[in-house]
Amino acid sequence: MTGRMTRPVLAACLTVLVLLALVPLLESNYLIDLFNEIMIYALFALSLNVIIGYSGNVSFGHAAYFAIGGYTMAILLTTYEWSLLPAFAASVAFSFVASGVVAYFCTRLTDIYFAMLTLAFSMLVWGVAFKWRSMTGGDDGFVGVDVPAFIAERVPFYYFSLVVIATAVAVLWVICHSAFGRALLAVRENPVRAGFVGINTRLMRWWAFVVAGTFAGIAGSLFAMVHRGMYTESAFWPESATVLIMTLLGGMYSFFGPAIGAASLFLLERLTNEYTEYWPLVLGTILLAILMFLPEGLAGLAQAVRRQILRGR
Amino acid sequence: MRRSLLVATAAAAVLTAGAVQADEIRIGVLYPIAGTGAVYGEPAMHGHNMAVDELNAAGGILGKKIVSFARDTKLKPAAASAAAKELITKDGVNVLVGGLSSAVGLAISEVARQEGVVYVATIPKTIKLTTEKRHDHVFRTASHTDFEGDAMGQIVAKLGLKKICDIQLDYAYGHDLAAGIEKGLKRHAPGAEKVLDLRVKLGATDYNAFISQIMGAGCDGVTSGLWGSHFVNFAQQGSPFGLFNQIKYISGGEIASHEIAGKMKGDYPDNVWSNTYELWYHHHDPSHVAFQEALAERSGTKETAMWPVLAYIGVKFIAAAAEKAGSMDADALAAALKGMSIDTPVGPRTIDPETHQADTGQFWGPMVKKEGVDYRVMDPVTFIPAVIEE
Repeated sequence: MTGRMTRPVLAACLTVLVLLALVPLLESNYLIDLFNEIMIYALFALSLNVIIGYSGNVSFGHAAYFAIGGYTMAILLTTYEWSLLPAFAASVAFSFVASGVVAYFCTRLTDIYFAMLTLAFSMLVWGVAFKWRSMTGGDDGFVGVDVPAFIAERVPFYYFSLVVIATAVAVLWVICHSAFGRALLAVRENPVRAGFVGINTRLMRWWAFVVAGTFAGIAGSLFAMVHRGMYTESAFWPESATVLIMTLLGGMYSFFGPAIGAASLFLLERLTNEYTEYWPLVLGTILLAILMFLPEGLAGLAQAVRRQILRGR
Repeated sequence: MRRSLLVATAAAAVLTAGAVQADEIRIGVLYPIAGTGAVYGEPAMHGHNMAVDELNAAGGILGKKIVSFARDTKLKPAAASAAAKELITKDGVNVLVGGLSSAVGLAISEVARQEGVVYVATIPKTIKLTTEKRHDHVFRTASHTDFEGDAMGQIVAKLGLKKICDIQLDYAYGHDLAAGIEKGLKRHAPGAEKVLDLRVKLGATDYNAFISQIMGAGCDGVTSGLWGSHFVNFAQQGSPFGLFNQIKYISGGEIASHEIAGKMKGDYPDNVWSNTYELWYHHHDPSHVAFQEALAERSGTKETAMWPVLAYIGVKFIAAAAEKAGSMDADALAAALKGMSIDTPVGPRTIDPETHQADTGQFWGPMVKKEGVDYRVMDPVTFIPAVIEE
């Protein structure tokens, strides 16, 4: 994980970006929606990986910040009729503040205690979304988000989403590969040693949490717009588990791994749902397989295959 | 790796997306097919398929064969919204029908509004669907919470109840029914006073805390919209405490339907007054006999469920509107649905051109024991029409 992108990685990123930009040319509303959602979940999973892969803690409550970003966007755009930019900025800022407050408490703990506290805070967010009916719509969800006219149509919104997500991923990449990212890796590998060389480990973990929460908030605000609604399920713990599995499936030791995991899991769920209602069974099997056979996820598998091929030469 | 994945999925998706075939009519059906909601979704699908088969046997709609695309809503608005969108964008359905819970109904309606596709709500009852959330393309053939609340007010008056406890599910239907009951009480039983308001989470199974609150409040009547398994759990937990000897239970949750009575059998409590859209043993309209026989054959039981008739009526309205409009174009279909009347197995129905709401009345009455059968039946059966007299 060096500070500069290697050529093949850069080329792959640009190719993916171009391919994604070409999706609307297929003239299928279904595919536009599908890729839009995949991109959103990819950003969501990448954001979680800052906590998991970089700072070495497991969060069971990452859906909270996705939901906070989404509900803030939905409420500001619709109830308060804000225009896009202020609403978007406010939703990012609010995700930042909320994750900052939660991180203050969570980073006092590590391991299982950290994980349980993140879960507790996310259930708190869910509780607010469920009970504050007048503001969030409660169990009915916040239905009918007013998306500004210039991106109300499918294709313009898709490009808006693509630009926001591509920028967010680029920024995340820079953050993760900066001195800060490398310091985080040191904290992950050996917090005691990292402390001795002068790294404020708690502050580092706080920043990792806040970066993750803020980018999850961005993903959430796009989700609210693409669905024209926000629902309590987005804050509920299974959503946190889903994004965690996406991250593990893709590979937490690779920057882009979680995005691949998100895309794979999302497509698999869509396809499975068309044939059977037993998606949870499929999900459980996948999780089992990752834990037993693919601890480094799909990205790790791809690297192992590549090494084999190179050696074969 | 990433590139090939993307290309492969794009190719797969394009292959499966398939263009709309011009020689068939596609109906998107949204009921809960698995999980808790399947108890309703499955019988509803029977009614839906029965209507489609009947129409196809008679040459389809506009001479074209009808093909149904069913998706599971999982009783969740987010899942229903995604499913409805997929039905439109991927399967290219011409019209949406179904929905069970009110929250799901509102979510599907929002997708119908965005995509400009007609949605016929066959089961969701929240009044909002045809008031503040109404749009050009949403129509409802179910009853609604104001009709139900009014009927419940009439029953409270008839039974002479004075102190009312209200227990509702904590989502759109429960909140709107509570408001409907409030209005109904004002109209018909101004002397009755509401002393307790309780809200239960959708899907809840433990009612002990609520039962003791009701019993402590000293009310002589309980109004409620707890439906399906919610009521079954509530009754089973309340009966041992003698709850149903202390109060009269008036419900708008269609717990008078045979699926609940037949399922609970001896556990069904005393003093319950409730509603249902249809009763297999009550022939309000002459055409009901043939309908019930056909349904019995399809369901494999003489004692058929209530939900099929709702799904059945939804499809029949769509077919009638399409024939009248001469096309499946959303705007033409919507125009035809306004003011449309059809004959159904439970009597004639007309959709109000202004509110997009059908005049769907219900059968109301006390659930009593009957000799020779091990389940409760409604007796006497009273049809309360969908009319609110100010």
